[in-house]
This record gives sequence, structure tokens and C-alpha cells, in this order.
Amino acid sequence: MRFIDARCQLGRRCVIRENEPVTKAEILELMDRCRIERAVAYHAIAKEGDVKAGNMELLKDTEGDSRFLRQWVALPHTFGEFMSVEELLKGMKENSVSSIRMFPKTHGYSLKPYALGKFMDAMAEHKIPVFMTYNELASEDALYAMLTDYPKVNFIISDVSYREERKLFPILEHCPNFHIGTGNYVVHGGVKTMCEYFGAERMIFDTGLPTGSAAAAVSLICFAEISEEEKTLIASGNLERMLSEVEL
Amino acid sequence: MDFRELVYGQKPFEGVFVFDVHGHIGFEQGSQLGPNDGESMVHTMDRMGVDGICVSFSPGIRGAWKRGNDQTKDTCKRLPGRVFGYAVPNPFHAECDLTPYFEEDLGFRGVKIHGNIQGETPENDPRYAHAFELANRLKLPVLFHAWMPYEVDRAADVASRYPDLNVIIGHGGLTFARDRAVAACKRYDNVFCDTAISSAPDGSIEWLVDKVGVEKVLYGSDMSFFDCIHTLGKLALAKLSDTDKEKILGLNAKKIFDL
Repeated sequence: MRFIDARCQLGRRCVIRENEPVTKAEILELMDRCRIERAVAYHAIAKEGDVKAGNMELLKDTEGDSRFLRQWVALPHTFGEFMSVEELLKGMKENSVSSIRMFPKTHGYSLKPYALGKFMDAMAEHKIPVFMTYNELASEDALYAMLTDYPKVNFIISDVSYREERKLFPILEHCPNFHIGTGNYVVHGGVKTMCEYFGAERMIFDTGLPTGSAAAAVSLICFAEISEEEKTLIASGNLERMLSEVEL
Repeated sequence: MDFRELVYGQKPFEGVFVFDVHGHIGFEQGSQLGPNDGESMVHTMDRMGVDGICVSFSPGIRGAWKRGNDQTKDTCKRLPGRVFGYAVPNPFHAECDLTPYFEEDLGFRGVKIHGNIQGETPENDPRYAHAFELANRLKLPVLFHAWMPYEVDRAADVASRYPDLNVIIGHGGLTFARDRAVAACKRYDNVFCDTAISSAPDGSIEWLVDKVGVEKVLYGSDMSFFDCIHTLGKLALAKLSDTDKEKILGLNAKKIFDL
């Protein structure tokens, strides 16, 4: 089975605990050990420091390296603080960046159409998937509002814990553009349950490296009580299809 | 046994004794869970090659201590040799007495303390003393929910005052309390850590083994909150020797659970 990780952070982050992977070489060693072929990667500086600088660092860190699929972090244009939508799309095309990650809570902005409508329209038009962690959203209602405000954008929401099913399953039922990153979705039998209710197409394998466990994430898919076809979709198929549809 | 190949080949952990020291059965008020009855858990254990698990009944940790412990007893009876029980005391119900669960072999192997959801009761509170005295007299393991530094310190205090029981610091070894858990493991022979935490990165179990020694680390999954696959996979792919993995997976537990 081929694994492609949909959530990997490169670069030195603020908080580093002893024995956690930090360098690109250490992340690659873990990917090799867990037989992860490639990873969608953004840069720590783009999250924690300066978004534009972090996106440029990503280009340097992944230059000539086919193991990483480039992902940029985006901000609203907001009076010129960040690239315009047109500049962003041009930059993505020129630098083979195929997806966007957003941190609305960390970076402090609204997801509502009055603030992000033009940006999300472009994501929909160019079929660019948008990634977030669940803790970047204020609530399950905020998630539902985003998914219904932008029904043509594919969202991948990751770091969903074992305690969220009561909140998130009704949203999965109503919003076909909602996909779950599997990395921290560790509830007993959770992968099987989600396949039964919503189909394997709604799950995207991710690890959350370097602070998530790639070994645990891979094992949860390898040993899930689902068919090999479903495992293949989750491990790499769904993400590859989504990225292949991007039009830049 | 090449544990990595088990994951790559999607094969159960057969030929090695695997015992999960940290399990839960039953409904959880705060969230919808996956399958959480004993039979469903044994189904997953069979698929993964897990020999046994020691569980507490989740609603029994809250108000219904007797009903909860009786449910654990019934599950142990239905699934003998696979599911073992932790008896859970309630610090607010003065009549709570765990002795009957240990007067004959009903499958109970230890005591579970979960003070943070019992009104933030300190883990070393005198209202738990009867349970500690029982565990000390019978040389039982006591599993503490302990992922905050003060929770770990209180569990260590119990270990110091009751030297014949064995304290298991649930979760504690691998979260923000891990330094305190390491200190407790080093200071007291009767303190151990389990591996039941979802968010710990790769390398954390290796870190713990390096700090406290492999004999002090026990495989725990937190099933049915978590899938036991999660920590099994993390252990299987860890940078540890197969001998160390076998100790963590079950050989260490065998000694302190009288299996």
C-alpha cells in the first residue's frame, strides 16, 4: 500500500521536546521507517512567524526534492498584507504549489464570505483543496458555516480527536465537501465506522509530522477492518485524485 | 519476531504475549465512542493478537460505582482470561467498599483512580484510603489517570505510603507530566508508566524507555476511547529492540498483574 501524508510541517518550530523529530532528515527517516512515500508539506515559519517568508522557506527546503508536495499557508489579502488572489495563484503555478493550508484562529481572521469570499471563490474555481486543523475553527457550528458558505471548495479537516463524532458526523452527513484527516482520529473502530456511514472517499491519510505519530497513523489504516480498496483510497488515492484536479 | 514486518504485512501480533493495562468499557457521557462493549473489544484484540486487557467501566467512574463494578464483573465472567477488571472507588459514596470484588477470583486484577472526573478529588485523598489499603494488602496494581504534574505527584505519594501496591501512571509518562513521571519511576520501585496517549509523537516511547528503563513501561491503549491499534503500531515501529518491545507489550505486565 502506498501512503502519501497530507499533513507534514517542515522547519524548526517554536516548541521542541526532547526526542521529537526536527530536521528534514529526521522526518525523512520516519517516513522511510513507516513507508510513507511522499508528504504534503508547509513550513513552520509560515504558521508561527511570517506567512510570506515561511512560504519562501518552503520553496528552498523542498528544492529538487520529490518527496514533498508543496503547500502554502494563506492569509486574507486584507489591505495588502498578503498577496492578492491573482498573485497567489500565479505564485502557486510557478512554484508547483498544489494546496493551501489556513490557520484562521492562530492568524486571527474570519472565514465568512465578507472576509474571504473572493479567496474561496478562487479556490473553488481552480479546485484547490484547503487544509485546516479542527482546533483552528471556533466550533462545530463554525465548521458547518464554512462548509456551507463554500460548498464547491474541498476542505480537509485534520487533528479530529476521538471525542468529536457526536458533533462532526451530522456535518459529514450534510456536507460532501468535508473530508477528515485520519492522523489523530484514533477512536476504536473509527476508520471502519466512518467508511460504513460516509464512504472511504471522505478520509485522507495524514500524520501531523513531526509532532504527530507517523507510526500510529500508518498502523490505523493498515489494520483497519475495511477492504484493501478502501485502504488504498484513504492512504493515497483520495489525495492524489484531489491534487490531480487542481487547475492552475 | 520482526514487529515492523507485522505492520507492513498487516499481521496480528501472534507469538508474543500482549496485555493492555489501560482499557475502558461502556458509554461515555461527553462523547460518542466506537464499539465499547467487551465483545467488540475482544473482536479487535483477536484481530490484533492482543491476549488480554484490564478495564474499568466508564459510567462507574462517575456516579454508579456499584453498577459499574458489577458490569465489569459481568464482562470478566463472559470473557474469562481476555478481559480483566479494575474496581473503581467513589470518594463521595461512604458505603463504597471494593472488598467483595476481590474475595474470590471474579476477574478483578487492580484498582482504578480517576479523581479528576470525581469532583477533582486529589488522587491521594483520604477518601480513597480504603481502596489503597486493599490494594496494598493484596499487592494489586493501581492505575491512576494522571496527565497533569500534580496528578502524577499525588500518585507518587500513594506509592511512597503503600509500598506493596504498584502504581501505574496512566498517560503521564508521555505528556506534559512526563518529567514528573520519570522522577517518580526512578524514585519508587513500585511506580510504572503506561503508553496510553494519542498525541505523543514518534520517539516518545523510546524517550521514556531511555529515562526510566524498559522494565517500568507498560503497554496501555485507552481502548475503547482509542483503538488499540494506535499504540501497538507506535510500539511496533519504534526504534527499540524486539526484546524491549516484548517486555513493554506484556512481559512487564505479567509480573504485576499476576497473570
